[in-house]
Amino acid sequence: MKKENKVLKFLGNNSVPIMFVIICAFCIPVSGFSIPYLLNEIFTRMGRNVFLIMALLIPIMAGMGLNFGMTLGAMAAEIALILVADWQIWGIPGLILAMIVSIPFSIALGTLCGKILNRAKGREMITSYIISFFINGVYQLVVLYMMGPIIPIKHTSIKLPRGYGIRNTVSLLSMRQALDNLLAVRIGGVKIPVLTFLIIALLCLFIVWFRKTKLGQDMRAVGQDMEVARAAGIDVDRTRILSIVISTVLAGFGMVIYLQNMGNIATYSSHSQIGMFAIAALLVGGASVDRASIGNVFLGVILFHTMFIVAPEAGAKITGDSMIGEYFRVFVSYAVITVALVMYETKKRKAKSAVGQQLEAEQREEESK
Amino acid sequence: MKAKRWIYRIAAILILVGIGAVMFVIGRGHTVYFDNKKMDYNGTTLEPPRKVEVYVDGERVAKLSPKDRGMATNIGQHFEMTLEITKNKGDEPVTQEVSLELPFNMDGIIVNLPGLLADIPYEDYISEFVQTDPEPTEEDEEVVTDEFAMDAEF
Repeated sequence: MKKENKVLKFLGNNSVPIMFVIICAFCIPVSGFSIPYLLNEIFTRMGRNVFLIMALLIPIMAGMGLNFGMTLGAMAAEIALILVADWQIWGIPGLILAMIVSIPFSIALGTLCGKILNRAKGREMITSYIISFFINGVYQLVVLYMMGPIIPIKHTSIKLPRGYGIRNTVSLLSMRQALDNLLAVRIGGVKIPVLTFLIIALLCLFIVWFRKTKLGQDMRAVGQDMEVARAAGIDVDRTRILSIVISTVLAGFGMVIYLQNMGNIATYSSHSQIGMFAIAALLVGGASVDRASIGNVFLGVILFHTMFIVAPEAGAKITGDSMIGEYFRVFVSYAVITVALVMYETKKRKAKSAVGQQLEAEQREEESK
Repeated sequence: MKAKRWIYRIAAILILVGIGAVMFVIGRGHTVYFDNKKMDYNGTTLEPPRKVEVYVDGERVAKLSPKDRGMATNIGQHFEMTLEITKNKGDEPVTQEVSLELPFNMDGIIVNLPGLLADIPYEDYISEFVQTDPEPTEEDEEVVTDEFAMDAEF
């Protein structure tokens, strides 16, 4: 009986990753892709996405849920990359400079986001989601109208022909895969971007170390119970702002890594989906709104992106129309976020009701005495 | 305690600014164009060799006949190339190592090879490549703002 319960509990807690394992197990053979091709794609996508997704871990630790505001960091990175591309700084130095230039933008945007979220405690996810739309408007104002007349942009290959504003696509050819190709090794036709993975490993170590620091412990305390943390002398609001600032800065770095892999910036749309897909990947890895680990990030990227790679081809083979697979993978991305949010709320309510029932039982027991 | 924190913060900012400045200098990209075209210098005409092969980092980036132009990209201000020069038809090619300091403020730099080979002053065989503005097209003017795109590359 106990064993059965354990199995059911395991299945319940890991329903999303299990579902994805089943989807992938079904779609991989149907798609007909070779294993080296799949591995190559997965390694590329891991290098491209893991850093971005890791940016989500710290706000979850601080009890602020899934930070849809990571888009802010992505926008900061895009502004930095546009400037660096215009200054003609190429290769690895260009990437490092873009990361450095993105920091002040990310800190400013993260602080603003954190301050607003402190006024919307308990509603952080929807608030950060809406903030990302608001800042997107500001971003478009800056990029479309201020870059050129106010912020100097020299190169016509970046500027719109009207003389101001940035083109829809900014080429990062001079930085394309600079990070991924340096120290890359090929094993059986599979390219492994060693340097990118080393940077990701450093971030993993940073997160493990950060959890043990005073600030990390404070964040965990705030995440568990804000009132208790406040009573213990922790500056709750400051801790929450810091978690969002760190997340935004890391998201900025992650976006630089992401875009160097792509080799171009879709100026007005690169950032818009990034938060959604990063969150979906994390949830696919078995994370929830209040609990996420480094393991969830890696598992999520592997499962989510395997589904992303094979779904269109599998859809084309099954239905004769690859668009079905395209729709399927986007539908699944949104569905997985919805399911995770519903499950989180259900669990929270169940826990609340269990506490209520326990209190009632204790009260009855006392009365019967 | 507060003063110490501020010192750390300022130190961190200075380190980042320092790294940024170094990256700004060492990462400056240049496109170097090699012109194998005749050049007039102090009333003398410097004739181009019959064939010049340009190697950068061991890789051949251009094979130039007279009037040809080749190009290579370079990160940083120091540029090295190897020229394999065949002056006249039937001559044995002569190899020459060339090392140039590129001007920081120029994106594109034209190196006139006959001038370089004639050992005339640097500023006389180096000139800036100025790109002409591309003609605006309707497609360029169109600005697509973000939407929930189905084909988002990820």
